[in-house]
Amino acid sequence: MLRIGCDIGGTFTDFLLYDAATGAFETLKVPTTPDDPSRAVAEGLARLGAGDPTLVGRIDTLIHGTTLVINAVIERKGAPTALLATAGFPDILQMRREIRYDIYDIRQTFPEPLVPRRWRREAPERVLADGTAETPLDEAAVAATVRALADEGVTSLGVCFLHSYANPAHEARAREVIRAAVPEMDVTISSEVLPEIREFERTATTAVNAYVRPVVKAYLAELEDRLAAMGVKAAITLMLSGGGICGLAAGRQAPVRLVESGPVGGVIAAAELGAQAGAGEVLGFDMGGTTAKLCLIAGGRLPMTREYEVDRVHRFKRGSGTPVAVPTVDLVEIGAGGGSIASVGAMGLISVGPHSAGAVPGPICYGGGGTEPTVTDADLVLGWLDPEAMKPNGVPLDREGAAAGLVREIGAPLGLDAVEAAAAVVAVVEEAMAGAARMHGVERGSDAGAATMVAYGGAGPLHADGVARRIGARHILVPLAAGVFSALGFLVSPVRYEAAKSRLTRLDRADGPESAAVDAVFAELTAEAEAAVKSAAGDTPITVELLADMAYHGQGHTLRVPLREGPFDPADAARRFAKGYADAYGYAYDDMVAQIVTLRVVATAETPAAPVAEPPAPDGGARRERMAYDPADKAFVPHSVVSIPSLAAGERVDGPALIEADGTTIRIGRGAFATMSDAGYVRITIEEMLL
Amino acid sequence: MSVIDPVTLQLRWSRLVNIADQMAATLVKTAFSLVVRDNHDYACGLYDSHGRMLVQSNQCTPGQIGSTPTVVREMLAEYPPETLEPGDILIANDPWIGAGHAPDVFLAQPIFQGGKLVGFGCNCAHHIDFGGRLAAVDARDVYEEGLIIPVSKLYRAGKPNDELIRLIRRNVRENEKVVGDLRAQIASLHVAAEGVVEMLRQFGLDGLDDLTDAICDRSEAALRAAIAQLPDGEAEHSVRHEARGPDGENLMLRLKLKIAGDEAILDFTGTAGQIERPINAVLNITRAYVVFPFLAALTPQTPMNDGCFRPLSLDVPEGSVLNSTFPAAGMYRSLLSYYTVELVFGALAKIAPERVMAPSGTYPLWIEKFAGQFDGGESFVSHYNAQGGQGAFHDRDGNSAVVFPGNVANSSIELFEADTPLVVEKKRFRIDSGGPGRFRGGCGQETMIRSRADAPVTTALSGGRFDTGPLGLGGGRQGAKGEIRTADAAGAEREPFPRPTRTSITRGERAVLRQPGGGGFGDPFARDPAAVLADVRDGLVSVEGAARDYGVAIAPGPEVDQAATAALRAC
Repeated sequence: MLRIGCDIGGTFTDFLLYDAATGAFETLKVPTTPDDPSRAVAEGLARLGAGDPTLVGRIDTLIHGTTLVINAVIERKGAPTALLATAGFPDILQMRREIRYDIYDIRQTFPEPLVPRRWRREAPERVLADGTAETPLDEAAVAATVRALADEGVTSLGVCFLHSYANPAHEARAREVIRAAVPEMDVTISSEVLPEIREFERTATTAVNAYVRPVVKAYLAELEDRLAAMGVKAAITLMLSGGGICGLAAGRQAPVRLVESGPVGGVIAAAELGAQAGAGEVLGFDMGGTTAKLCLIAGGRLPMTREYEVDRVHRFKRGSGTPVAVPTVDLVEIGAGGGSIASVGAMGLISVGPHSAGAVPGPICYGGGGTEPTVTDADLVLGWLDPEAMKPNGVPLDREGAAAGLVREIGAPLGLDAVEAAAAVVAVVEEAMAGAARMHGVERGSDAGAATMVAYGGAGPLHADGVARRIGARHILVPLAAGVFSALGFLVSPVRYEAAKSRLTRLDRADGPESAAVDAVFAELTAEAEAAVKSAAGDTPITVELLADMAYHGQGHTLRVPLREGPFDPADAARRFAKGYADAYGYAYDDMVAQIVTLRVVATAETPAAPVAEPPAPDGGARRERMAYDPADKAFVPHSVVSIPSLAAGERVDGPALIEADGTTIRIGRGAFATMSDAGYVRITIEEMLL
Repeated sequence: MSVIDPVTLQLRWSRLVNIADQMAATLVKTAFSLVVRDNHDYACGLYDSHGRMLVQSNQCTPGQIGSTPTVVREMLAEYPPETLEPGDILIANDPWIGAGHAPDVFLAQPIFQGGKLVGFGCNCAHHIDFGGRLAAVDARDVYEEGLIIPVSKLYRAGKPNDELIRLIRRNVRENEKVVGDLRAQIASLHVAAEGVVEMLRQFGLDGLDDLTDAICDRSEAALRAAIAQLPDGEAEHSVRHEARGPDGENLMLRLKLKIAGDEAILDFTGTAGQIERPINAVLNITRAYVVFPFLAALTPQTPMNDGCFRPLSLDVPEGSVLNSTFPAAGMYRSLLSYYTVELVFGALAKIAPERVMAPSGTYPLWIEKFAGQFDGGESFVSHYNAQGGQGAFHDRDGNSAVVFPGNVANSSIELFEADTPLVVEKKRFRIDSGGPGRFRGGCGQETMIRSRADAPVTTALSGGRFDTGPLGLGGGRQGAKGEIRTADAAGAEREPFPRPTRTSITRGERAVLRQPGGGGFGDPFARDPAAVLADVRDGLVSVEGAARDYGVAIAPGPEVDQAATAALRAC
């Protein structure tokens, strides 16, 4: 049984081929082909099958993630798109929440709306909050509008009417009218993409979907044709922003759900590793070249957000983008990676990131022309990286150059030598990541310090120890398959689909008819979610979870609460909400009425077994010693240096130590030790919380 | 005082900001009223053992956060350190201690380490109601405006002060939400206390006071350096407010700004005296809305703390509308106090025009209050927020429909309609509302809200710029005026109200709101005709407006008629 994970990134398209019969992995990178991304997919498959002509035909599943959707938005390469709103409301998309994302920046700007005002049109119709149609849809007006838009070159139309989550009839009818008037017009209706209350978020999400859909449809058609021509018989599935995978039909319907499909793979793999290692709550910590991503996973359940944004004016400023409120894994991303540039700002304080030296020119020490000091330069000056171990440009890392850059940009203005400057840069960036982890914890109603960190990405294992100490976390897991960690996540991701619909229901009034209405919505959502899962998973058994986003009546932020199976029971829902609220915030109120805002159904097909690489026998490599910086001592002290292949299962390495792995280095600080597991990861335990 | 090296300072400082942000996140997560959770009308900060402000949350409202240092100091004056114990929570909403009106309720918690007072967490939330006459846009004194709590203990050593809580419950509408929001404020303070104690432990510190000096000195130095870059000199500016004093004349706000080296002296002498209307500002609010535009124009990256106040000296005559004394009414003080932003920008524009924006249609803040009953008899109270356009800059157009200088979000139409028997019939940009200029002011918007209820709905319609739109700068012209009216069931609009008004609408009647546009910047005849054409295509400028205001002739297409444009612009 062959499974392939395929992640189309901006630069490379990554492949991971897994043979379930032998447990063997094979990985491959080919350059992405932006003009037609399916070409790189076909090319990669051809290369994987070069030695075995039968391979392509034997692939069972191809799981696919892509940055196509997000790039289409950022680069404004979507279709000429129009929006149709309830008459009187053409400007919801541009008015946003009318709030500023930075209180002091008087010159702040907002993302250019995906749909210009001249294509934001109105349809006479009105549905009220309770779903009553107060003004019927003016079908003739809709037909005339869509014909005019087609004449102006519009090929995709989003329809978002007020309260369509409560009654989608007008939107559905509008789609029929549009199709009759202009059959080739691509139509997205908001009640299918996001049947949830709050008109701005729904309109923005609908606009993104309409904007990318023609592009995604063309791409998927191309992909299917190419793979069919090659003899691929596999079911092609797509990685969703919410974790879970779906078939091509569901992907075509709501491509807005594919926006964040890349980074989610790593989170799924982190959750899986945490479960294997018996960890309770997991804090995924992915530090790469440009950003660090953090994700708290409790009880194996991926955290979800409906506040995800694309197209931010300031990439790391919340509120500066366009909301995409479909199910998305709640990842916190901050501008702190190995390539992040350090400098001294106007206030005489160090800032690290969000600007990054990127792959080109890269950190100073890579010798690729970089002149500004980065976190990686600081790591090298502190002796945490071995100059000989990495040769990104064919030569050893340049410690002198890195030190000189740090002195020039950081040391000189602050009166520090190279090592002090490097230690300061590392402390600042680790505190920034720790701060993001703490905030993420508070926002999730959880304590990041109580979680087990799973560290991956090129710089994650090096800085995990420092971040863990700053948030009070004692356990860190580092996977050995760190290089293919995201693609690994694709392979262990279940086929899963979430369907949701707003249905405001006060539990104290949820008597017979209202309960029946809730059951009806659940039945409708279950059918939708099951159909989406079946299209990708065939006859695999499906489990269905019923959930409700609930709040105390009048309270804002909702809490996602799992409900029990069977007919809706308001009393049981109230108990579950009170328990969930108490778990999150430490107390619950018995004098307040709870209310359901949105109903959700998650359908999941059985999870494939997680592949675990057999640990190879130790290669007999000896331990060495190297002087490296110890932040607790503020001095260079001897560190044990070992390589991963030299470690036997169960072997212990006491800090301070550096474990050299493929593409990364694991740092173990003083007061901590690492043990090699027999299941493909290193476990670090911090006994003394020295900083 | 020990000297703290910059790296150590930075690590401690960023940790404190992180704690303040965690306070804010907790408050928003656990709050009940829309005002806090959706409109972000709150502030959180940390203070040292003397009550000096260290840090504020990144998301907060300037007027509230600018008032917190006074609140904490007053609390310390009332309850000296020896009278405070762990688990105490202090409360106050006295307008002259706090943010100038009763709904802004401040809570503070003393933080102890090993029995020693090390500092305070303090937060403020705008409560949905705090008693008094409903929507008293015509209040004459503060007694009409709600329950006033002088500095008191809401909790003593972890035990609730039940008498006070009962008193609050009995005096406010929607008391479940009010008490729920007080609890959210307490949860936020617990996060502050835990965070500070953990930070002191982790960093091996025994207090915050040394840190305050270092943080404030740095912020002060940054602001001084920015002021020093301005040329020395004096500039005077005045703003005519549409409210009228007892003599029937418009209220005048006056500022003489003097830049002398690295200091700025702001003298408000000549500003009108306080009046018997609820728009008087207390000194805290005036100070906050003077420091805010200053920081925003000169050093937007400098965080607000006590150090930011040091390079500025303010002389605000006592008894004026900008420094009102007890018992002046001030519930709707934003109607007036936001104009201090225009006053400061207007004076700065005469010294450094590239730093400021033209006057905005975003002040006064437009918040409409509705109260009444559903047909089933259940009562409701709700706010509706929607704002005007910002002024233009010397190099770009102003933002349309955005809040400034406060920072409260608009109302979701769908949530508003789910909470009330009201229907919003229209919410859209107003054509030709952005003040013409080489760079156009942001557009205002118009809104129409209809009642579906049998019982009359009481509404306090609040807004401004009814007489004159926000003026332009540097040859730019004014944005559209604001308008508040009602319309009958047939949609026929009645005469506009001359001022914020408390009225009622019956089934089928409408409240009509037209928020003003921002002022333009520079000569409108110098605007790129292509930009004017784009505005015409987008329906933001009419064909007539293009010709009249910009001297750009738009031919059918639409396209620019170059010859006719040249002719128009030649005259």
